[in-house]
Parts: sequence; structure tokens; C-alpha cells
Amino acid sequence: MDAGLLHLLHQALFGAIAAAGFGVLFNIGPKTLVWAMAAGALALGVRTLGLQAGWSLEAASFAAAIAASCAVRFVRIWLGAASNAVALAGCIPMVPGAFMSQAILGLFAVTAPHPENEVATIVLAMEYMLRVIFTLGAIGAGLAIPTHLLRNKDF
Amino acid sequence: MTEASDPVLLKHRELERIAMAALHAARLFLECGARVKVVHEGTELIVRGLGAECVGLRTGHASNEITVSHGVNTITRMMSVGPHGVNHRLDHALRAFCVRISRGGMSADAVEAELGRLARETPRYSPATVAVAVGIACAAFGRLLGIDWAAFGPVLLAGCVGQYVRHHLRVRGLNYYVIGAVIAFLASGLGGFGSQLLGSKTVPLAMMASILLLVPGVPATNAQTDIMDGYPAMGSARAVTVLMVMIFATVGVWIAEVLLGVG
Repeated sequence: MDAGLLHLLHQALFGAIAAAGFGVLFNIGPKTLVWAMAAGALALGVRTLGLQAGWSLEAASFAAAIAASCAVRFVRIWLGAASNAVALAGCIPMVPGAFMSQAILGLFAVTAPHPENEVATIVLAMEYMLRVIFTLGAIGAGLAIPTHLLRNKDF
Repeated sequence: MTEASDPVLLKHRELERIAMAALHAARLFLECGARVKVVHEGTELIVRGLGAECVGLRTGHASNEITVSHGVNTITRMMSVGPHGVNHRLDHALRAFCVRISRGGMSADAVEAELGRLARETPRYSPATVAVAVGIACAAFGRLLGIDWAAFGPVLLAGCVGQYVRHHLRVRGLNYYVIGAVIAFLASGLGGFGSQLLGSKTVPLAMMASILLLVPGVPATNAQTDIMDGYPAMGSARAVTVLMVMIFATVGVWIAEVLLGVG
């Protein structure tokens, strides 16, 4: 099988598993968990395709969040008001928590008594921090824009 | 004049019950991770369903204030909010209940009683189930980050242990941020040590993946949504909370890295 397709399937599978796992932490009901898994697979699949097409992580995450948010609108008849939560659970595996820790660790390293390569370290830390901010912004905007454009009366 | 025959006093007491029922619901909404807009819409449905008007609601990170009115009578009350978490099933049970109240025919006392029942009886997964699910999620998240298969098992185990201990520390009422540091140290230490032992080539990534249970993803996205919805104070409070959690978690990882000689 093509390596790119294998990687896509790998990312979608583990995106689905991560979304379901965190869905349990968020106390999403068993039936809705299946939809969260599907949203996770879709989001990670779209993000992987975007990255394979040469997009930045932020652009790919934005497209993935938009895709998840729009997709849950099509199954709203079954999900009802839970659709926003399902889209959010699907996007949780894209939250760049590891980047944030690496950014903070980089900043710790710069404040050490005798830092090595402090310029390179601070540039890397800033790069991670900006990546976190922009990726989180991309996910939040991607989830929110369809919600605001395709308003519904469910509460 | 007795209290019972004073219509103004009686009306204020009714309004007070309505305000407190609405604040009770607002508190539960916030504690299960709802956006501010949902909190406002839910309380509005309750207040109107109970026959009053909602003049205003201020939602803060630690407390809510509401002003309700009926005719010339107005009353303002405040209620503190407990630790914020994420509880999807309770959130949706509350929403459905708010819609039911909005149809009318319920008293404030009945609403209070039902809110209490929902908070107590809405199903939750057992702590052991959540721990296993979180362990699996961390390992899957680790694969997305690029950990090798040798690190998969240790990250899974570290996530399980970290979540189980976190649950018990929360029950004991330990500070939210201190829990973050302790669990980050424990989970990243376990994940890193296990990965080293099994010959993983991605030990630093495994340590990061082990603490992903601490990343407050829902508050992070809610922060942005709240700002977009016109509630920048709450959005900023959530964002600061996310940053603080990550700083404490990173301290835990840093100590574990120093002890394991990783980094």
C-alpha cells in the first residue's frame, strides 16, 4: 500500500482512538462516543491530507476543524444539540499541548545560569509558542465559524 | 402588616427563589464546561419558564450574578462556582431540563430539586474506566506525535496511572495546579522510564505524550469561543487558567527529565 495512504489511515485511526478516549474523560455518552470517534478520524484525516499537500500545521488544523464542524451538521438529526461537543471532541487530538510544554521548557532553558545556544533556544521556544497560539486559534475558529454561519434553534 | 399579606415582600421572595434556581443551573453549567453563551441561554429559559424576566446575568470564572424582575420588583443575587471540569452528559441533561422548564408549569423549588437530582444521578464512567480510556488516548495521541511502538505501552500505562491518581487527588481537594505538576511528574516519569527500559528512541516525546491528559483542550477552545461570543473577561480567565495548568505541568515534566537525564 502507498506510504502516504498508510500514514493517512494511521493518523485517522489514532485520531479516532484519542477522541474516544478523551470523550470518556469528558463523560460523553457511549452512543455519542462513536460519533466523536468518527469526528476524530475525519479531523485527523483532513489535517494529514493538508500537511501532505504542503500546508502549514495551522492551515491544516483550520481545515480539519471546519470539516469536523460542518460534518456534524449533516448528522444533526441524530446528534441534536450534542453536535458541537462531538466536533470539539474530534478536534481535541489536534490541540498542540506537547508544543506548549516544549515552548515552556525552552523558556526554562533560556533562564538557566549559563544557557547554551540561547538565541537558538529562544527562537525555537518562540516558534513553538506561536505555533500553539496559531493552531489553537485555527481550531477554535474552524469550529466556531460553521456554528455561527449555520445557526440552529437547538439548545 | 404580616409578611404573608405584604405582596411586595412575597414577590421578592418568589423572585429570590427563581434567581437562586437560575444561579444553581448556571453554576452547574459552568462546572461541566459549558460556554458562557450556553449558560446565559439556559438561565434565561429557566427565569422565563418560572414567570419572571431576566434583566441581566454576569458570568465570572468563580461566581455568577443575576438580576431578575417581575413588574416593578427586581432582585439581584450572586452564587459562587466550584472547580470547572468537563461533563458532557450533565451539560446536555441540563439543557434538556432548561427547555422543559421554559414550557412553564414548574415551581422554583421543583427546579432546584431536579437540578440537585441531575447533578447527583447523571451517569458517569467509573474512575477505573476513565483511567484506562485516558491511558489509551494518551498512547494514541503519542502515536500522532510520533512516538515509536516501544514507547506505546509505557505511555498507555503512564496515562492510566496519571488519570487514576489525578482523580483521587481531586477528590481530596488538592489545588488544581499542584495536581497538574504532581501528575505531570508522575506520568512523564513513568512514561519516560518505561520507554527507556524498552529501548525506545522517542523518550522525550513519550514523556510529553504521557502528560497530554493534563492539556485543557476544552477550556482552551472555550476561551476563544467565549471571546468571540462577546465575553472577553471569561475567555481571558479561561486562557490564563490554561496557561497556568501548562506551566505547572511543564514543571513536573522538567523535574522528571532532570531525574531521568532526558532533554
